[in-house]
Amino acid sequence: MDRAPAESLIEASHLKVVLGGSPIIDNVSLAVRRGEIVVLIGPNGSGKTTLLRALLGLVSSQGEIRRAANLQVGYVPQQFPRDPSLPLSVARFVATTGASQARGDAALRRVGASGLARKQVATLSGGELARVLLARAIARMPDLLILDEPLAGVDVAGEAELYHLIAELRDELSCGVVLVSHDLHVVMAQASRVICINRHICCEGAADAVIRDPEFVRLFGARAASELALYTHVHDHTHRPSGEIAPREHAHG
Amino acid sequence: MDDFLWRAILGAALLGAAAGPIGCFVLWRRMAYLGESVAHIGLTGVAAGLLLGISPVVGVVVLAIFAALTMARLGESARGLIPSGTIVGIVGHVGLALGFILLSTMDTVRADLLGYLFGDVLALSNREIYLIAAASLGLLAVVAALWRPLLALSINRDIAIAEGTRSGLADTAFLVLVACLVALGLKVVGALLIVALLLIPPAAARTFAHSPESMAIGAGLIGAASAPLGIAWAWYANAPAGPSIVLAAAALFLASLLVLQLRALLERRA
Repeated sequence: MDRAPAESLIEASHLKVVLGGSPIIDNVSLAVRRGEIVVLIGPNGSGKTTLLRALLGLVSSQGEIRRAANLQVGYVPQQFPRDPSLPLSVARFVATTGASQARGDAALRRVGASGLARKQVATLSGGELARVLLARAIARMPDLLILDEPLAGVDVAGEAELYHLIAELRDELSCGVVLVSHDLHVVMAQASRVICINRHICCEGAADAVIRDPEFVRLFGARAASELALYTHVHDHTHRPSGEIAPREHAHG
Repeated sequence: MDDFLWRAILGAALLGAAAGPIGCFVLWRRMAYLGESVAHIGLTGVAAGLLLGISPVVGVVVLAIFAALTMARLGESARGLIPSGTIVGIVGHVGLALGFILLSTMDTVRADLLGYLFGDVLALSNREIYLIAAASLGLLAVVAALWRPLLALSINRDIAIAEGTRSGLADTAFLVLVACLVALGLKVVGALLIVALLLIPPAAARTFAHSPESMAIGAGLIGAASAPLGIAWAWYANAPAGPSIVLAAAALFLASLLVLQLRALLERRA
């Protein structure tokens, strides 16, 4: 693409999050632009969710976070505890965004959940809840969609369809998307940019470049690597077992 | 029935009407423990108010608000080792114990202690009744004004904050609402029973509600209805009024459970 870089929606520089005395996120800088799908990958406990929560202001962080003025955020959290003591229909839940009924209905239709409008949120299955949460997020007409493992509970067929849908929504809403996911294969196909994170940013770039990065191979194991083309270049650091960065003597080659 | 009886019913009914919607949020946010502890601290507030020579109601309002606001933050000092519910429980019982000791040093108050623990709406002055009635209407107005942020935070706190809900303002306002309600209810149903008015009407309303709004309105109506039912029963049976109001609310809760069971039975037949 040789267009001028699109508007930056959110920018974090030198972000650090300390929880319970130890840094979960350290020195992370990133920017998300309009029209971009940024995928965060990393092993369990690598701080992906914490990074998203810091960007959203849900955990306190050091460093700087700049948001575009009047940034509308749509957020799908990793977990959504359903509360049977709170009577709430899907339609009413979507309406809590302030969206009109028509826009709410359109959002539910868009994710294939219009049949659920009158159901109670507390009775939804995992897959249904995933669609409803996504519908709710897009009903806000967000500038920035932040999706944390949004498709937990969705079956494999539905998953591919929904990831494709997320790419379409990005075009329709001309929003930026930050996505955390474990499903590397499906996600990689939709990503404009992949950021591989393990407390700090290990490697980032276009999907096909990242999957060749030795750091990626180390984090995701030989099996994932064997399915993907592998070419090695010298990485500028390595990790000690504790996750600390151990600098290497030679630079990128 | 006498005039003062009608006024007592009016005051208690409006208090119940305010307790219903506030209680819905207490239920949704799992804060029953906090309400109870604030009520227990209210007893220390009564004692402090009397000792300082100001109105006990003022003492309760001030101390209850202070307690509600500090308890929410006290958990942090335990660095997550002790669940916040436990800390809230500790503070509440300290408040109850301290209030009891302070009140027992005052000879004139000792006879009145039961009134503070279980309420005595029929002993209230007209001025107190009107104060309770007007303040209850005020609390209802605040709940209505804060409905959207309070509901968003109850549905999912993270989503609400991520989408720009100002949680600090809504959380503080909610704690103040609970504290004010507890303070108002202290002389109606008492420090030991006020939380019942926050719990029972929402629980009863949940059985037939299909939206948060209908649950809040239903809880308000059930809370309001408990007052005339309870006070009438107290009058005819010569029973203490506060506990009678709570039992009336519980009877409505049982009735709602019966209706729920009957409906399920009929649906299975159909």
